[in-house]
This record gives sequence, C-alpha cells and structure tokens, in this order.
Amino acid sequence: MWFPVPNSESISSMISSLCLASPKSFFRPPRCVAASAAAAPPAVCSSVTLYDVLGIAAGASGREIKAAYRRLALECHPDVAAVERRGASAVEFMRVHAAYETLSDPEKRADYDRSVVTAVDAGRRWAPFRSQWTSSYSSGLRRRPRTWETDQCW
Amino acid sequence: MPLWVPVRSQVAPAACLSPSPEAPRALSLFSSSSVFPLPNSQCLVWRTDLLVISSFRMAEQPYMVASDSETTGDDKSQSAFHDLAIGIEVGTSKCSIAVWNGAQVELLRNTRKQKAMRSYVMFKDDTSTGEVPSGGASNKTAYEEKEILSGSAIFNMKRLIGRADTDPIVHASKNLPFVVQTLDIGVKPFIAALVNNVWRSTTPEEVLAIFLVELKTMAEVQLKRPIRNVVLTIPVSFNRFQQIRVERACTMAGLHVLRLMPEPTAVALLYAQQQQQQQQSLHGSMGSGCEKVALIFNMGAGYCDVATTATAGGVSQIKAMQGCTLGGEDILKNVLYHLLPNFDSLYSNRDMNKIRSMGLLRIAAQDAIHRLSTQSSVQINVDLGDGTKMQRVLHQSEFEEVNRNVFEICEKLIKLCLADSKLAAEDINDVILVGGCSRIPKIRSLVLGLCKKEKEYEGMDALEAAVTGAALEGAVASGITDPSGSLDMLTIQATPLSLGIRVHGGGFVPIIQRNTAIPARKSMIFTTTQDGQTEALIVVYEGEGKMVEENHLMGYFKVTAIPLAPKGTAEISVCMDIDAANTLRVFAGAMMLGTDRANSPFFEVRMPTLDDAHGWCAQALVKTHGSALDLTTIPKELQPQKVQ
Repeated sequence: MWFPVPNSESISSMISSLCLASPKSFFRPPRCVAASAAAAPPAVCSSVTLYDVLGIAAGASGREIKAAYRRLALECHPDVAAVERRGASAVEFMRVHAAYETLSDPEKRADYDRSVVTAVDAGRRWAPFRSQWTSSYSSGLRRRPRTWETDQCW
Repeated sequence: MPLWVPVRSQVAPAACLSPSPEAPRALSLFSSSSVFPLPNSQCLVWRTDLLVISSFRMAEQPYMVASDSETTGDDKSQSAFHDLAIGIEVGTSKCSIAVWNGAQVELLRNTRKQKAMRSYVMFKDDTSTGEVPSGGASNKTAYEEKEILSGSAIFNMKRLIGRADTDPIVHASKNLPFVVQTLDIGVKPFIAALVNNVWRSTTPEEVLAIFLVELKTMAEVQLKRPIRNVVLTIPVSFNRFQQIRVERACTMAGLHVLRLMPEPTAVALLYAQQQQQQQQSLHGSMGSGCEKVALIFNMGAGYCDVATTATAGGVSQIKAMQGCTLGGEDILKNVLYHLLPNFDSLYSNRDMNKIRSMGLLRIAAQDAIHRLSTQSSVQINVDLGDGTKMQRVLHQSEFEEVNRNVFEICEKLIKLCLADSKLAAEDINDVILVGGCSRIPKIRSLVLGLCKKEKEYEGMDALEAAVTGAALEGAVASGITDPSGSLDMLTIQATPLSLGIRVHGGGFVPIIQRNTAIPARKSMIFTTTQDGQTEALIVVYEGEGKMVEENHLMGYFKVTAIPLAPKGTAEISVCMDIDAANTLRVFAGAMMLGTDRANSPFFEVRMPTLDDAHGWCAQALVKTHGSALDLTTIPKELQPQKVQ
C-alpha cells in the first residue's frame, strides 16, 4: 500500500487534476516503506482510508465491499460517465478499483488494516504535524473532491 | 500514416477516405455506385443494388487530416441517438450486425433475410465498371459456397489480419482456395484472388474494409441514418497489431471504432443484463443482488476464447481471459487431412480443376462435421470431378480422435483461465457456451465436465450472444439511457495480455500484468546498466513469455538526459496507461538523482508505433546499439507500488 506523504509536492499534484500530460502526475510519490512509516507524518493515511474511498465502514463485510465497488463503478467508470468528464472518471475509477482490489482480498485487507493501525499509532506521535497537514489537505480535497491520485497504481 | 477522416458524422457511405470534397457529390450522381479509393491508390468502384443514397444530406463536408492514431477522442461519442454505435461481429466464417432500437437489441437482416451473413469478398471482373468486389453481406445474388471456394473470393480475413508471413496460422492458410504467399521474413503476407484467370493481389485489411463498407451501407439503408460509430468484437488473443489493423480497416470503411470488445466480454455484458432483469423481476428493485460467477466459452471458426466473469447489480467484472487461434477451421483441416492424407501434395499446384475439387471436398467435410453434432456417424459421398470419388463413413469416435489436439488445447485454456481467476469449478454458477463450435458434443461435454456442471446456461443464442452484447455496449458507451433501467450496466474489461519492456539480457518485465482491470495505469522504476549512461532504450512488448523474443514488439523510443551516475544508481520511471478505449500510452523519463522530480520533460508515446510486426527491428536495435542503452530492474522493495 502506498500513502502519499503530505508535502507541498504531492498535494499540488493531487490538486492539479492529474492530467497525464503533466509529468508530475506520474511521478511516484516519495518513497516510504512500512518500516519507515513512523518517520513520515502519516496524516493523510488516517484521514482518507480505502474504506472512505468506497464509502463504507471499516468493518464492512465482503459483500458490502463488492456492492459498494459496483455502485461506484456504475457512477465513475468511463464507459458510463458523462462524456465531458470521462478523463477524470478514469482516474476516479482506478482509485475505486485499487481500493476494492485491496479490500476484497482478505490477506491484502488484513495487511492494510494493520498498516492503518500502525499509522494511527504513529499519528499520535505526530499529532502537531497532523493537524497542520490535515487542514490544508482536506480543504484541497473539498474543492476538488475526486481528482486526487490513485496512489496504489504507482 | 495520416488518413482522411471526416470531421462530422454526416458522411456518405464509403466516401470517407476521399481527400476531395467532390467525392460526396459524385456519389449522388450515381446512386447505385460508390467510389472506394484504396490505399495502394487503385480506385475501386463498388456497387450494390439496394443502396439508397438520396436519403443522406450531401452537403460538402469539411475535411481535415487526422492521424489514424487519434481516433479515440471523446468528442466523437456525443450522446445523441443518431450517433448511437452499432455492434458488429465479424467472424471468421459468419458476421452479424445489431443495434439498440430503444427498447432492446435487434439483429439486422440482409436482403436474403439472413441474420448471420457469410464473411467473404468476391472479386469479379465486370467490363462496364472495372473491378467490382462484393461481399457476402448484401449482394442480391447469393454466391454459392462452391463459388466462394473457387479462388475468386477472399475469406477468413479474421485469421489473416495483422499477422506476419512467419506466423504458423498464415502458413496453415495456404491450403485455402485463394493465394496466400509467404516469404518468411516477418512482413505482411501476400494474398490474391483469382480474377479472369489472373491472381490479383489484395490485403486482409482491404478485404475487411470492403466487407465493412457493405455492412455499413446495409445498416444505413435499414436504419435510415448514417452510421459512424461501431463496437466491434474481437478474439481475446488479438494482439495490439491485429487490433490496429482492424481499426484501420474500419477507418477505411468510414467507421469509427468506439470499442474493440473481446467476444466473451460482450457475452458477459449480455449475461449481466439478463441477470439484472431476472433479479428485478424477482425482487422488484434494483438491489445489488447476489454475485453470480459465469464461465464463458466461445469457439467459432477461427478462434477460441475463455473468460470468467463475476456479475451483480448489472456490473460484470471480467476476472480472467484466455484465448488462442483455434476453431472450426482447424477442425476442418484435421478432417480434410484425415480423409485425404496426401492433401498438400495433391493441391500444391493451383490449377482450376484442383481448386474446384478442393472446394468440393471442403464443403463435404464441413457438412459432415455439422451433421456429426447430432449423428454418431455420417456418410460422405463426394465426386471430386477429376474422376476420383470419395465414398466413406466418418464416425464420431474417428472425428474425436483426429481432433484430439484441438480438445486438449480447449481443456488447457479453461484450466488456465480458472487458475488465473482463482476459481474452482464449484465457484461457477453458470457455464455459457457460445460460437458455432460449441455445438460439437465433445466440446460441450468437455467444458461442462471441467466446470462440474450438468447443463449449460440457457437463454442465450450461441450465434447471436456476442453481437448482442456489442450492441448493448454500443448503447451504453454512446451515453444512451433507458427508463426501465435495462442499460444501467457495465462490463469492467481486463487486459488479456501483459505489457512490459525489455531489460538487459533480453528479459521481459511486465509493467501491466494480464487480467488487470481497464482503465489501468502502472509504473515501475528501472535503472542503468552502464556507468555514465545518459540514454536508454525503452522497448515495449506485449505477451506472456519470459524472454522478449517470445512476445510481440510494440515499439521503442529513447529516454535521454539521464543524469551522469554510476550504473545502477540513476532512476528511469516507465509508466503504462491503458484508457477505457484500450489505448496504450507509455510515459518514460529520467529522474533527478535522489529526488522524485523529472530531470527533463518526459516522453509520451502511443503504442504500437511499428507499422508491422517487424521482429527484425528488435534484432537491428541489438546489432546497432548492443547493450549500451539497456535498462535493468531495481529491487522489488524499492518499487513504489510494491510498498505495503
């Protein structure tokens, strides 16, 4: 699982609607391995989880995960999205699909759940940073709610 | 190669290639003929008796030059009903055409009331107008199979299109009545039809284009509107070269390909619709319902495909696909060689009598195979014309024995597909059998046996399912909605073949693995193999082989401005992107050392860039550059997407 580390670089790339023509959007995010998770402020990890992407509770059943994925696919897959937003919908669909791919596989989901817990623990230590980053990040998110990166694809 | 394409969709049939705005006007003067300029600058006049051109507006069209690699823009899929894409299935043997009529999918019939039309183009000499090739779709005078096999008609285009002359399938096609010549150097094969006792050359794309023009005209007459957008079904095993050739044939015919859809995924979409309707009638509401897993086995005259799909709530997700070039043609060939072991030597010289008797034998064998679907033995009586008669009985057991290799390959494909989708036979709810060869008893029992099922899924016409699904996709992708909700559905496609690049030593490193959901975007970091290496070749391949030679070369380009550094330290990012229309783009560039910033602008290349499957381009690259521009992988744990 890859989480964006909230520095100005990754936030601006999230906000810049991820047009592939701009090289920025396909840069891999700064490297972060599980072991070094504590070293990076994991604020975003705890603010937008894969469960949030699918709009489900963290304890959702396999069936709920699938249902949510299908419902979102029918909204955002480029085949069915309105013509004028097909470009953005591809990015959106890939994000939804990536979340689904992790959560629908029990093993990957367990790994993910563990990493989120680790991140939350670490987040406590990074509390001052977190409040700072979440505020700027979430305001960006509100303006362009569905255009940030499918980090898993990278 | 730039092609002329019309800007708007209101275009007269077959006039789209014309660089001159005069062409549409010329067309209106001769309402029964149309000009069909072909790429090798010979102009064909093609005529059909049922063409009604006066119903189209003949205003002068603005023309522009567009690269044929830019045909996927969304501006062309405006959601007006008049732009509704039709579904076309061009089979190796038969083809059909279907359209969403506002309430359901309807298959169009030709003037002979056929829904399944024979796929061929007849080249005949006509003294008044010159060359008049005509296809099996709409010509009034139905050619008999005997005439189709006389050498004057080209058929099996689907088996030949986009293949090089080194391909075993092209070699196997040499026993067809028309000429297929190979020089075994990895270029397009030479094919020719017999016209006035002369072998006249053509190409598979040209033949397909002529055929598509005829289909298009037939649909335009019946639907009383110009047709531009199509969803075409293709076999799973089609590589990107073959896809581009099909797209090019469509462009030549004035059609814009909205989607090329692997045949089983079109069937999956129809299955999703049927499941959705069933659940609605059961529960009265949309509800996501329970998930159903189906295995789709499709075998026609030319290709065999297997796919698994998970369906619920109108969404069908393709879990895995497998396909190969195997079909009725191979079964027919096995039977022909069984009936006449010295088939090759008998027909090596192509005089008229030999071609005729070969045609008669083909018809008799085909007929016997069809009858063996319901009988345990058949009597074959055929007068080969040159004094030889064949009289014998063919038993089903004999038939199954000579085709054992075919059944073994089918079995292998199904097992691979199940393994890829991580499914056991018990997980499968429905087994869907489609395509002409699915009527063969041995194949039915084999598929059902592997899936541990007593009977197959009912409610789908084996010969109409794929084209119906294509028409549904055409409606969905054209933005048509249906108040009853019968178009609220979606097939989430997957890539049938892996895509990746060559690394040092000739290894193939996949970046997008097969069966990845589309649209997809994946990237990997590579590094240099030489000290101070400032340039690197990105050589893109498609396939499943571990070494690049086993895969299809898609194209190559050079990444420049790699910062000076010892080998193994510079970072080159390669990203592959497949959009919903299945277009592949490769982005690559060097990173500044120790940062995540580009050292200079990245390259964006649409693949394939090669015009032919020139395997020798790869050899030339190695010969010229050795390993000086090679890349290699970096450890997995340093790849961003592998980080957990």
